[in-house]
Amino acid sequence: MTTIKLWKFFAREDLYECYQCARCTGSCPAMEVAPAFGPRETILKCLNVGHEKVVQDERIWLCCTCNVCEDRCPQKIPISDLLVALRNSAARRGNIPGRLVMAIELLAKTGRSMIVHQLDEMRAHHGLAPLPPAPVEEIRAILEKTGLREVVEF
Amino acid sequence: MKYALFLGCAIPIKYPGFEAATRLVCQRLGIELVDLPFSCCPPPTSMKLVHYDSWLALAARNLCLAEEAGLDVMTLCSGCVNTLKEANRTLKQSESKKRRVNKILEEHNHRFKGTIDVTHILDVLYQDTIVERLIKETVRDLPMRIGCHYGCHYFRPPGIMYPGELSDAESYVPVQMDHLLSIIGMEPMEYSRKFLCCGSPLGANADQDAGYAITQTKLQYMRDRDIEALSVICPSCFEQFDMGQIVLGRKTKEKYKIPTFFLTQLLGLAMGLSAKEVGVDVHRIKARKLLDGIGIG
Ligand code: SF4
Ligand code: SF4
Repeated sequence: MTTIKLWKFFAREDLYECYQCARCTGSCPAMEVAPAFGPRETILKCLNVGHEKVVQDERIWLCCTCNVCEDRCPQKIPISDLLVALRNSAARRGNIPGRLVMAIELLAKTGRSMIVHQLDEMRAHHGLAPLPPAPVEEIRAILEKTGLREVVEF
Repeated sequence: MKYALFLGCAIPIKYPGFEAATRLVCQRLGIELVDLPFSCCPPPTSMKLVHYDSWLALAARNLCLAEEAGLDVMTLCSGCVNTLKEANRTLKQSESKKRRVNKILEEHNHRFKGTIDVTHILDVLYQDTIVERLIKETVRDLPMRIGCHYGCHYFRPPGIMYPGELSDAESYVPVQMDHLLSIIGMEPMEYSRKFLCCGSPLGANADQDAGYAITQTKLQYMRDRDIEALSVICPSCFEQFDMGQIVLGRKTKEKYKIPTFFLTQLLGLAMGLSAKEVGVDVHRIKARKLLDGIGIG
């Protein structure tokens, strides 16, 4: 299993810039509806228990990626970079929701994020020409090279 | 005015009506659209979270196609614009990332150079020359209390999406859609937590019920202001509100439904196109009564 260098995505020192003021968390939609960590606690956990523990927790996937936290942070901490990095790291350790695995497989196999079903008729209903096929071979080749297989088989 | 049209996945496959409306409206406004063999953007809510390098390389390939055609990219989706704008900026700024990506793309005869810009159709429409043209092309007003939902990724994080507009003291919130809709006689309404997420990524990735709980919150704030219809600029947000009201309705039995439109559908209606031409006939939450009420069949 390969791991990623988390602190190349997000400067570790930035964790210490956090006031723990929770201005971010006050606007976090995921926390309102689900047992998400929210941004403040994510940062605190990275400091207290270490990111190695954080990326093992499936609750990190509850974040909507709405980026409101980064917008609100008075310290201008690039929180979205941290949240991306943590989940990249989690995915490499097998902590990744099944739905997301399916979505990525579909993308890698078809070059698109949607299942194509009876598309020509539907497009014709709206007066549109058929959708040209995606350049699947080229996309697969690129994704082989970037190492997507480290995370998802396709 | 000419752009490479980046359709993304959801629009041409799930909501071709938005594509039809967009093509018709752009034609009337003198915006020429060129189709290129793009792939998925890929989304900031899936591929980027799972494998950043794959996300960057696929985005770079899409950017290369537009560079090769010598055109700026116009997207129709908050997610696509977020991915392509950020990737474009990252690759323009980081020599090492650009080198890494180009090593892979060169095998397929692409090379990222950093010669184009990425924009969303809302910003294209908001240009002075287009607004003037829109005023001329508008043949009927759509008097409705309309709520705008921009989609988080269209404008956040502002440092990436709208770096020029941002001062240190304030964050950026968009106004373009509200302004455009007032031109076609709509009444854009303020409502609580207007910039709250629609809930879609949470639903898609982890917990559908939790995702819809956010949607429900947002819809309630709109109902509190007697909003009659909702305008969006992202197919994922659209689905969250359109399909979401069906799913939520099974539980809540809520009678007050809010028909949702893609921005260019509303502009098309104002230009005299029919409901079928702009594709509103296939929406789950039907707009018929609302449109009948203002004399549009
Ligand atoms: S990006 Fe995630 S953590 Fe930040 S406010 Fe949105 S849901 Fe919460
Ligand atoms: S808003 Fe910024 S400083 Fe305050 S708790 Fe959140 S991350 Fe820390």
